[in-house]
Amino acid sequence: MRRLAAAVALTLLLGGCGVQTSGVTPAGRAPTGVAPGVTLYFVDRDGRLRPQLRRTGRLGTIPEAMALLLTGVGDAPLRSEIAPAGPTRVVATTAPGLIRLMVPLTIDDVTPRGIDQLVCTALGVHVQRGGSTSTRVQIRFVQPTPQSRVRRTCPLIP
Amino acid sequence: MTRRLPPRGLRARLVVAFVIVTVAGAGAAAWASARSAGSALVDATQERLTAALADQVAAVAPQLTYPPGREALERLRAAAGPGTLVTYRGRRAPGGAGADLVTEPVRAAVRAGDGIVAQRIRARGRPWLVIGTPVAITAPDGRRRPSGIEVYAVRDLSGVDDRIDGLTRSAAATAALALPLAVLLALAAAGSVLRPVRDLRDTATRLAAGDLTARSPPQGADELAQLTVTVNEMAASLEASMAAMRRMQADARRFAADVSHELRTPLSTLTAVVEVLAASADGLEPDARESAQLAITETQRLVALVEDLMEVSRFDAGTATLRVEDVDVAATVRAALRARGWLERVELDAAGEIRAQADPRRLDVIVANLAGNALRHGRPPVRVAVSATDERVRVEVTDDGPGLSADVAPHVFDRFYKADAARARTPGSGLGLAIALENARLHGGDLTAGPADGGGARFVLRLPRRREDA
Repeated sequence: MRRLAAAVALTLLLGGCGVQTSGVTPAGRAPTGVAPGVTLYFVDRDGRLRPQLRRTGRLGTIPEAMALLLTGVGDAPLRSEIAPAGPTRVVATTAPGLIRLMVPLTIDDVTPRGIDQLVCTALGVHVQRGGSTSTRVQIRFVQPTPQSRVRRTCPLIP
Repeated sequence: MTRRLPPRGLRARLVVAFVIVTVAGAGAAAWASARSAGSALVDATQERLTAALADQVAAVAPQLTYPPGREALERLRAAAGPGTLVTYRGRRAPGGAGADLVTEPVRAAVRAGDGIVAQRIRARGRPWLVIGTPVAITAPDGRRRPSGIEVYAVRDLSGVDDRIDGLTRSAAATAALALPLAVLLALAAAGSVLRPVRDLRDTATRLAAGDLTARSPPQGADELAQLTVTVNEMAASLEASMAAMRRMQADARRFAADVSHELRTPLSTLTAVVEVLAASADGLEPDARESAQLAITETQRLVALVEDLMEVSRFDAGTATLRVEDVDVAATVRAALRARGWLERVELDAAGEIRAQADPRRLDVIVANLAGNALRHGRPPVRVAVSATDERVRVEVTDDGPGLSADVAPHVFDRFYKADAARARTPGSGLGLAIALENARLHGGDLTAGPADGGGARFVLRLPRRREDA
């Protein structure tokens, strides 16, 4: 009897310290990032911002989306308020709560709606990749301008 | 099951109790800390592994085509590392070795929910962490919906297990370190308790042996010191009462000696007068003669009583001396009986000659008292048997009387003891058996009373044949 009790105590002592099995426990939000294509933002006839799903088969990165946006609208009844320029290469860096876009444009190449197009497209990709919707976007134009320091939000993304 | 006896000594019990308490306390503390450290380690590892899987999936997901083809699933599986299973609407990506441990509860939770789930299981003798997660599609405005892609990963936790075992071992070692310390402390505590106890025991032993001056010095102010003080007070009180009692006894004995001594001179005169009275008794009236006879008898009793009292006083004062001679015990006994005219009333069994070193006068007193007692209180036949071994002489006196009852037997040698209160007036002085016992002891022998075979009383005198100091 005493031996049995000692054995039980020893088992409890040693067995109680290993990795215990457990039930199924939640461990955070699911990863995200898959998408059938990338969402670009253009302007309709009434001057309102409109999302357009470009079926690329995958989400891709912010620079890829910016390159598609700068390339143009295609044949839709939408238009872009970003002046078509030569290069479409955009450098995007993300800091906590902030995306910095270095665009090959001057402030004169874009209307305020055009700036919204850039901001919404970049922020949309960021959110679809799992980022926060409260992230701000800063657009740096090639020529020095106070607009380069503004931290912007997209009117369509709350 | 054999039941072992608990340790008897105070020291052993203290040591065992100390060791049990200390080791149990240290063990419990070490066990608790090892357990909480172990569970923190498990939690941290689990968090790291699930976060790593989520990061790996999130890093590769934007590059995957959707809906995913076989190649995309394969790419996702490769990105998530070995032991991973990727499915899309029930389709499995090829490969994924080691992922067969994924449990059904995890699958169900992944299908039903929209977050990562984890479960620790034990399989193939080692612990595993099963992680499952759906991959979500997030709209640009932040709304999420399931994509149908599910990722399962099985991660080995034996590294954590080993580290927890290490923690447990070091905890046990720490608890074991307390053991010698506990033994030392217990021995020190036992010593401090046991020393006064041993002193007290020694004092009590000396008190019991008759040394009433024995005391223990109290040390400190604890309960043991109080006990020591109490024992000392008890010993002092005992010593005082014993001294008082001895003084009273001595006073009583001196008084008895003085009284009997003072009575002797007037009694001598009285005896002489009574003898004269006896000589002229024949010429008296019958009534006066009867009174004279009564006075003679009582005077003789009074003389015997005073003589006995003086004898007892000599024993009490320690002044009784033994005049040892080489005597024939059988002849002495016969002479004693003959001198009192009892040879006809007593059956004497004393064959041959039995030599012994004894005081003939005192032997005569003993035999006379025993035989007289048997003749007075018992019924005939009264038998006196003398026998001897190499060492001892044995004189046995038995009678056929009612014997000694259980409440009388212990007191027959007491002074003035009367077995029957109603029979207060007996010819004896009430001191005879007491004097016989004192005489036997003076010889270095013994006198005992008990029941005889036939139902009467039996008195046995045993005397050594040779004086040891002679």
